Amino acid sequence: MPIYNASLTSIDKSETKRYAGLSKVAFDEKLIDHACLEAQLLSQAKGIWQIYDYNHSTHTIEAEVPANIKGKIVQRHLQNATKIIVLAVTIGEDIENAVTDHFKANNYTHSVLLDAAATTAVEMAADMMEKTIRQYIEAQGYQTVMRFSPGYGDWDITFQPEMLRLSSAREIGIALTTSMMLIPRKSVTAVIGLIPNCGGSSSQASHDCKNCNKLDCLARKESSI
Amino acid sequence: MIYVFDGAMGTMLQNAGLKPGECPELLNVEKPEVITNIHEEYIAHGSNIIETNSFGANRIKLSHYGLAERVKELNTAAVKAAKAAAGDKVKIAGSIGSTGKFIKPLGELTFDEAYEVFYEQISALVNAGVDMILIETIIDIQEMRAALLAAKAVTDKPVICQLSFNSDGRTVTGTDPQTAAITLEAMGADIIGANCSLGPAQLLPIIELLAANCSCPISIQPNAGMPHLVEGKTVFPMDAEEMASWVPKLVEAGATYIGGCCGTTPKHIAAIKKAIQLLTPAVRQHRKPMLALTSRSKTVFIDKTLPTVLLGERINPTGRKKLAAEIKEGNFLSVKKEALEQVHAGAHLLDVNMGVAGIDQTKAMSKAITEISQLVDVPLAIDTSDAKALEAGLKAYPGRALINSVSAEPERLDEFLPLAKKYGAAILCLPISPAGVPKTAPERVAVVQTIIDHALAIGMKPNDFLLDALVMTVAADEEACIQTLNTLKLYREKFGYPSTMGLSNISFGLPNRPLINSNFFTMSLAYGLDAPIMNPYDTAMQEALLASSALLGFDKNARHYSLSAANANAPTKAATAPISEMDLLASIKTAVINGEKEAIAPMVEKALAEGHSSTEITDQCLTAAMNEVGIGFGSGKLFLPQVLLSAEAMREAFIKIKELLPLQNFQNKGIVVIATVKGDIHDLGKNIVGALLENNGFHIIDLGKDVELDTIVKAALEHDADIVGLCALMTTTMPQIDFVIDALKKAGSKAKVMVGGAVLTQEYADQAGADCYARDGVVAVNLAKELVEK
Repeated sequence: MPIYNASLTSIDKSETKRYAGLSKVAFDEKLIDHACLEAQLLSQAKGIWQIYDYNHSTHTIEAEVPANIKGKIVQRHLQNATKIIVLAVTIGEDIENAVTDHFKANNYTHSVLLDAAATTAVEMAADMMEKTIRQYIEAQGYQTVMRFSPGYGDWDITFQPEMLRLSSAREIGIALTTSMMLIPRKSVTAVIGLIPNCGGSSSQASHDCKNCNKLDCLARKESSI
Repeated sequence: MIYVFDGAMGTMLQNAGLKPGECPELLNVEKPEVITNIHEEYIAHGSNIIETNSFGANRIKLSHYGLAERVKELNTAAVKAAKAAAGDKVKIAGSIGSTGKFIKPLGELTFDEAYEVFYEQISALVNAGVDMILIETIIDIQEMRAALLAAKAVTDKPVICQLSFNSDGRTVTGTDPQTAAITLEAMGADIIGANCSLGPAQLLPIIELLAANCSCPISIQPNAGMPHLVEGKTVFPMDAEEMASWVPKLVEAGATYIGGCCGTTPKHIAAIKKAIQLLTPAVRQHRKPMLALTSRSKTVFIDKTLPTVLLGERINPTGRKKLAAEIKEGNFLSVKKEALEQVHAGAHLLDVNMGVAGIDQTKAMSKAITEISQLVDVPLAIDTSDAKALEAGLKAYPGRALINSVSAEPERLDEFLPLAKKYGAAILCLPISPAGVPKTAPERVAVVQTIIDHALAIGMKPNDFLLDALVMTVAADEEACIQTLNTLKLYREKFGYPSTMGLSNISFGLPNRPLINSNFFTMSLAYGLDAPIMNPYDTAMQEALLASSALLGFDKNARHYSLSAANANAPTKAATAPISEMDLLASIKTAVINGEKEAIAPMVEKALAEGHSSTEITDQCLTAAMNEVGIGFGSGKLFLPQVLLSAEAMREAFIKIKELLPLQNFQNKGIVVIATVKGDIHDLGKNIVGALLENNGFHIIDLGKDVELDTIVKAALEHDADIVGLCALMTTTMPQIDFVIDALKKAGSKAKVMVGGAVLTQEYADQAGADCYARDGVVAVNLAKELVEK
């Protein structure tokens, strides 16, 4: 089971601002810096992934125990995939505890900024892992479509136990609550569809907030303005 | 001479019938004639060097086929099959590929495990008679280091190190060509290059960078473009002629070993061979030897022609009880914090010292280097007097480290220099001999000469040295400063190597040490100090450096100095301007709107002292400000973090009022029991709502997250709550809201119910029987006020 623990030698400030809902406004850069530095210090990035054959007619991940993907949007997203990567990434619990502790100490703003920086960190760790995966699969003649996670679009969050099984996420310390929440909270599971590279341009779909169920996401508000 | 490697083995094997999922190296014993035929074909088409069919024949890769125990057999057979084709005509390179696993901390494999795996395979290839070792298609510098070390331990035969780069010009784990070339040449790589992943066009700039940063020959083996899948078969788009058309450019860029990777065939090799007939190797422009240190992803040069380099000294437990205790417990959080903050404060290099009495230094150094190099991208200096700890640190470090330090004492020369050579580290030369610390500059130069002689004798290079000028205490010896300055001057005249030193010892025992230190620093820079070891948080020293850089010509037009000085004089915040009597209340309001947490308490104190009542301040300033902030938020002009800054400022104001008027009764707008429902572990949104309500005069009973239904109902009744606020973030936990509302009604609670959270909507709130739905914290405050007024 391939493991890749990304090295986060910086946390993207502009992404942190975006997740905090601040990408279009002037805000004290020192506060953003402070949150990014703390997120960098406390993040313990871990990642794991596995590759499977994918049957896009039956929407089945051909694991030893196969798994069926339900949901029209996700199925359409994977419509040309012949293989699929199932990945899991986490940055650990320390940062989550720090977010809580800062709020308790009435540092509301820092807590919210740290939470945004933590989201940035886990996405960066996933991006970095995806980069190593892409080099590996491009050599075999495939290209990737955008990461897609349960809970996104019409892909039911109850697929999460299958994601943990297929990616072996437990090996890097990710668990699940009965309500399908990942623990540590700053964790991501996702699939990446692999489509044969036929020499044309990539069919990489871009991110669309409309497909997401997280209605109160600060980043969403911004992109809809 | 320009040498021609062969082309792809995998592509040829596929054409010969190798099925997906079969082990290519098994053919070395099962069908050796197939392998020999491929070699022969490449030789017939012009290869001078053929590569054994052993790319994946390491223990880890072979274990996927259940062949882990056949490493020696398969590699020996690979060489035999190559020899059968080669005769005396061409050379044989033993091919070594990746294990497919990342080394810790990027992955799960230890450095020693990787080393052993490579050692086993390389031994088999060398014993079977290869002419050179080719480590290829490696994407992580740490794996390359393990393989190169193993190769050097097995054999004196040439070792070629080829990394695979991504289209952004770095390996996927972040190493750029300059950093790779410097790191690998220092470790003794004989030929450095790149292969796979990219075609010749994209590899060209990478080859240029490799050639500019080492004096080794350069090798390149591009893919025939990026592969396509056609009817399940991998097809490469670039034909032989197009590939060959790039050869003159690759040679001009410095390559003298050229071959092909995935998708290249004997035709490609023939075309490359033809192309080189007319070419001669490029005359490479080597820059003068210059001390360079590297991390995984960055190179830092130290030289008299370059700006001063700061070596941060703070990761050192000497005299720091708390840090020492943490290291002893195995807790490296403060160590990591020091690393991050020093880099943030401007350090270009970090010194790492784990000198805590009574701990396993080797383990501590290995862990510290591993954790710090995963966190920051500046090169590190390994600061220890223990050879075992030094080696553990060098092994763990994915770059070219600095060893701090090597003196002229026999055990240091005997133990440290070979480690520096083996791991490609630079050394900080400390002029201390068995006779002690030399007092005068000429004596120091003589001792350093001894160290350099020893180092050069074992094969180290002129760009491996950083010379310490040694700083003694001026209170004990009035010559201390003069001797150090003269040493700096003599180092530059005699050796030309860059210099370093720790500065603060100069002022030991004197009053106002910062004054002495910063003046000494300025003098030292003028005498040629290149890389001070210092505390990067020390602003006096940073300012001295800024001024010196401008004075010594390292800061063109004194730009940095000017910008920094302008910043220092710039007014900070409008709120710190003097407040006139007239606008005091307005200023408090503005301070809340601007979220000026630090400024607010003195203003409130002043307002109270001037006779304004707490109600006046609360109503006219604080509440009014928050109302404005709320309106700004609602109209999309302000954003949540700004609202929270205002809330924090408002809170500070309340605290001040309560402190000065402890008997003052604040209006209680109502009791709110608030909770994130059972099964849901998100609470930041709920906390924000709670904080904003509290600021607005509500009494909050926060039950936390993942709260049982019964607990919520009980609290609502017990506290006679006016409002119950329920939060759920997920579709899976949302139904809990319905259950809680039902239970509250059944239990006879009169509390109004407000709901909110990521997936909730007005419709959902209505069907669940909630009294209102709050989309965000500001809305929640307004709704709460309405609910209690009803």
